[in-house]
Amino acid sequence: MQNISDLIALAIFPGGLFLATIALGYEWANRKLVARLQNRLGPPWYQPLADLAKLLAKDEVLPERTIGALFHGLPIVALAGVLTAALYVPLFGLRPSFGFDGDLIVAIYLLGLPTMCIGLTGASNPDRFSLVGATRTLTQFFSYEAPFLLGLLGPALVAGSWQIGQIAALARGRWLVLTQPVGFVVTLIGLMGELELPPFDAPEAETEIVAGALTEYSGRGLAFFRLAKDVELVVGMALIAALYLGGVDPALSFPLSALIFFAKTLTILLVLAILQTIFARLRIDQTVGLWWRYGVLLVLVQWFVTILGRYLPL
Amino acid sequence: MTVTEDALAKGVELLKPWTEETNVPEKGRTDVILRPENLLAAVDVLHREPWGHLTSITGLDLGVDAGEIEVLYHFRRQAAVLGLRVRTPRDAASVASIWDILPSASFMEREMSEMLGVDVVGMPPHGRLFLADDWPEGAYPLRKDFSPEEAAQQRPAEDRPGDAAEKPQRFIIPIGPQHPALKEPGHFEFCVDGEIITSASARLGYAHRGIEKATEARTWVQDLYLLERVCGICSHIHAMTYCQGVEKLAGIEVPPRARAIRTLMAELERVHSHMLWLGVGAHEAGFDTLFMYAWRDRETVMDLLESLSGNRVNYSANLLGGVKFDVGDGQIKAVLDGADILEKRLHHYLDVATTDESFLIRTQGIGTMTQQQAEVLGTVGPTARASGVTRDLRLDAPYAAYPDFPVKPVVASGGDLLARFVVRIEELFESLRVVRALVQNLPEGDLAVRVPTKIPEGETVSCSEAPRGELYYYIESGGADKPERIKVRTPTLANWGAVLSTVVGCQLADVPMVLAGIDPCFSCNDRMVRLRTESSGRRLWSWEELRRYGIEYYRCKTSAT
Repeated sequence: MQNISDLIALAIFPGGLFLATIALGYEWANRKLVARLQNRLGPPWYQPLADLAKLLAKDEVLPERTIGALFHGLPIVALAGVLTAALYVPLFGLRPSFGFDGDLIVAIYLLGLPTMCIGLTGASNPDRFSLVGATRTLTQFFSYEAPFLLGLLGPALVAGSWQIGQIAALARGRWLVLTQPVGFVVTLIGLMGELELPPFDAPEAETEIVAGALTEYSGRGLAFFRLAKDVELVVGMALIAALYLGGVDPALSFPLSALIFFAKTLTILLVLAILQTIFARLRIDQTVGLWWRYGVLLVLVQWFVTILGRYLPL
Repeated sequence: MTVTEDALAKGVELLKPWTEETNVPEKGRTDVILRPENLLAAVDVLHREPWGHLTSITGLDLGVDAGEIEVLYHFRRQAAVLGLRVRTPRDAASVASIWDILPSASFMEREMSEMLGVDVVGMPPHGRLFLADDWPEGAYPLRKDFSPEEAAQQRPAEDRPGDAAEKPQRFIIPIGPQHPALKEPGHFEFCVDGEIITSASARLGYAHRGIEKATEARTWVQDLYLLERVCGICSHIHAMTYCQGVEKLAGIEVPPRARAIRTLMAELERVHSHMLWLGVGAHEAGFDTLFMYAWRDRETVMDLLESLSGNRVNYSANLLGGVKFDVGDGQIKAVLDGADILEKRLHHYLDVATTDESFLIRTQGIGTMTQQQAEVLGTVGPTARASGVTRDLRLDAPYAAYPDFPVKPVVASGGDLLARFVVRIEELFESLRVVRALVQNLPEGDLAVRVPTKIPEGETVSCSEAPRGELYYYIESGGADKPERIKVRTPTLANWGAVLSTVVGCQLADVPMVLAGIDPCFSCNDRMVRLRTESSGRRLWSWEELRRYGIEYYRCKTSAT
C-alpha cells in the first residue's frame, strides 16, 4: 500500500498532474496580473493550457548538427527535476510527501535543474541566438544561485535542521520574514532570477536574441520547458511561504489550509508581478553585479546576525 | 546681404579654384559645376571650412542621347544649399568616392552606384546595400533606358562576397531581416567578442518598392499619392515636401490657411511618430510597461488625426496647391483638449525617462555620439540635436506656416540614448505649443489654388523637417505632365552612419536600443524595384496572379480536409 500511495503522490496528487494543472493556473494569474498592471487586457484563464496543448500537438524540429538525445531529453529532465523537488516541499497546506535530513539542499538543486538543462541545450545546438542565450542563462545561474541558496539557508540556521519539513514546522506561525527581512527579499528576487522573469530576462531578451537558449525549440520540448518553469514558480513560492511567511498548519482542516496556502502564494505572486512591471531589463553584466555586489553581501550580513543571535547569550 | 546669400557667396568663393561655371537656379541655392577630377579637392575644402553638411547625393541620367550621367552633391548650411555638379560619360561612369572625407557619404554613394551604375572609386569593399542578391549585374534601374523585361532575361548575379564572407573566423550575430527587435525588415551583422560588439554592417532594401522609378511613369498628381506611401509613419511630411517642391517649380503661392493646416498635420504627425518611438525605445530596453502606456496615450493623437483627416496613417491632407480639408470649430476644441491630455502624459514620461533608475542604467552613457561625431557623420533630426547639433529646418529654413508660428530649438548635449529620449519628448512640448497656436489663430482664406497639370521646366530642392530629421526631395521637371526625376533622401539614410559607428564597443544588449535610437524607418529608406528572374526559378507575380493563387491554394486546402 505504501508503494501505491507514494506513486500517487509522485504522479497524481499532490505532485505530478495536480501540481502541473495548478501551475498552469499560476502562470495565468501571473500573466493576467502583469497585463493588468501594464494596462493590457491579458489572456483568458485557459490560455496556458491552450498553449500547452498546442505545443504538444506540434512537430518538434531538430536543428542540424544537434545531438538529438540532448535536444529531446533535456526538457524531460528539467520537468522531472522540478516535479521531484515538489515532493519535498509542503504544498497546498499538506505536509511534504517525502523528507530526509538534507532535503533542502537537494530540493534547491533540483529546482536549479531546468536552468542547467536550458543552458546545456542552448550550448549544444549551433544557433547563434541559442548560444548567446545559453551563455547568459548559465552566467545568470552562477550569479543568483549563491544568494538564493544562502537566503533559503537562513531559516535552516534558525531551525538547526537541513530538512524542509522540520524547518517548516519550526517556522510555522513565526513569520521569519520579520526577523530575516533581507533573506526574504534576496530569496524572492533569487526566484525571479531563476525563472528569468523581467527584469532578469536578459537570457531570453526577445529584442536581442529572439528567445535565447530556447530559440530552436518548438513542440513538445518547448511545452516541457515552459511547464517546468510554471511548476518551479509554484514550488519556489511554496518554499518561500513555508520558510518565511509562517507556512500553513497541516493540522487545519482541508478547505482552510488550502485557502491559506493559496492566499500566501498569490500574495507573493502579486509582489512578483509588480516587480516584473516596474523595471527595465537589466543587462547581464548588471545582473551579475547586482547579485554579487549586493545580494550575497547582504545575505551574509543577515547570516552573521542570525548566528550571533543564536549562539551568543544575549 | 542676408545670412543665406552670405553663406552662398562664401561657398562659391571657396570653390573658385575648381569652378567651371556657377548657376543660381533658385533663391537660396547655387550650383557649382566642376570637372570630375576636382571633386575631391572641392569637397575637402568645404569640409575643412566647414561649410554645412552633406545633405544628399543625387544621380541624374541625362539620357542616351546626351551620353552622360550627372552627379549632384548637395550641401546645406542652414537655409543655403550649395550644389556641386559633376558629369561623367554614361558608358564608363565613374566618380571619386568622398567617403574618406565625409563618412556620411558612404550610404548615399552606395545607393547612387547601385541604382545608376556609377562606379564610385575608392569606397571600402562592400556587398550590395539595396538591390536584391540575385539582381542581374549591369542592370541599373534608375537609368532612363532601363527595362524590367530585358533585365529579367539576364542572368542573376552570382553570390556576392559580402562583408560576412571576409570575416569567417568571427562570431557574428545576425539581426534581421526578420527579428523581434525590428518592426521592419533590415539586416545587420554584428561581430561580437563575448557580449561586446567589434564591428557592424548593414544590408537594406528588403522593402524596396521602386517608388523613385515609378514616379517617372506617373503624372504629378498621381505621384502625390505614391509619395505619401514612402513611409507608413511620417506619410504627411513626404506628400507635403513633394507638394512644396512642385508648387515652387510652378511658381504658385499656397494660401495661408492651407499652409497652416499642413503645418498642423505635420506637427501632430511628429507627436504620433515620437510617441510611437518612445514605446519602441522602451520595449527594446525590456521596459514593456512604459511601452504599453506610451502607446495607449498615443491613441489620443491618432484619434485627432483621424477626426481631422478621416485616416489614421495616410492622411492625404495635401493637394498640389493646398489642402483637401478644412478644420472646423469642433475639431479645434478636440485638438486643444487632446493637446492638454498629451502634454500631461508626456511630462510624466519625461519624468520616468529621466529619473527611473533601472531605465537610466540602460540609457545613460550608452551609444554616445559627441557633437563632433554627429557633425562628421552627417546626422540629422533629433539624433543630431541630442548631440548638441542645432540642425532643424523649421528654424533654419522655415517653410509652410513656420515663419508665422516659429518653433524654439530643442537640443541636448549628452549625445547618449538618454539625451535622445529627452530631446524627442521635449520637442513634443514645442510641437504641442505650435499646434495650439495654429488652431487658435488659423488664418482665414482659401484652402487651395489651381496648379497646371504640366509643370514648367526646371529643378528644385525641397526640404523639410520630418519627425526623424531633414527630408530631402530633388524634383526635376522637363515641362511635361510627368516628372523627369524625383530623388528622395530620407532622414534614416543620413543617420545609418551614426548607428554603425556608435554601436561598436557597445554591449550586445544595447544594440536594439542604439539601433532604435535614431528611430530608423526602413520603408522610407527602401524605394527600389524588386525583380525576380525566370532563371532563378522565381518570377514576378502580379497582384492578380497572387490573388488567384491565394484563392486556389485555400480552395485546395479546404477540399483536402
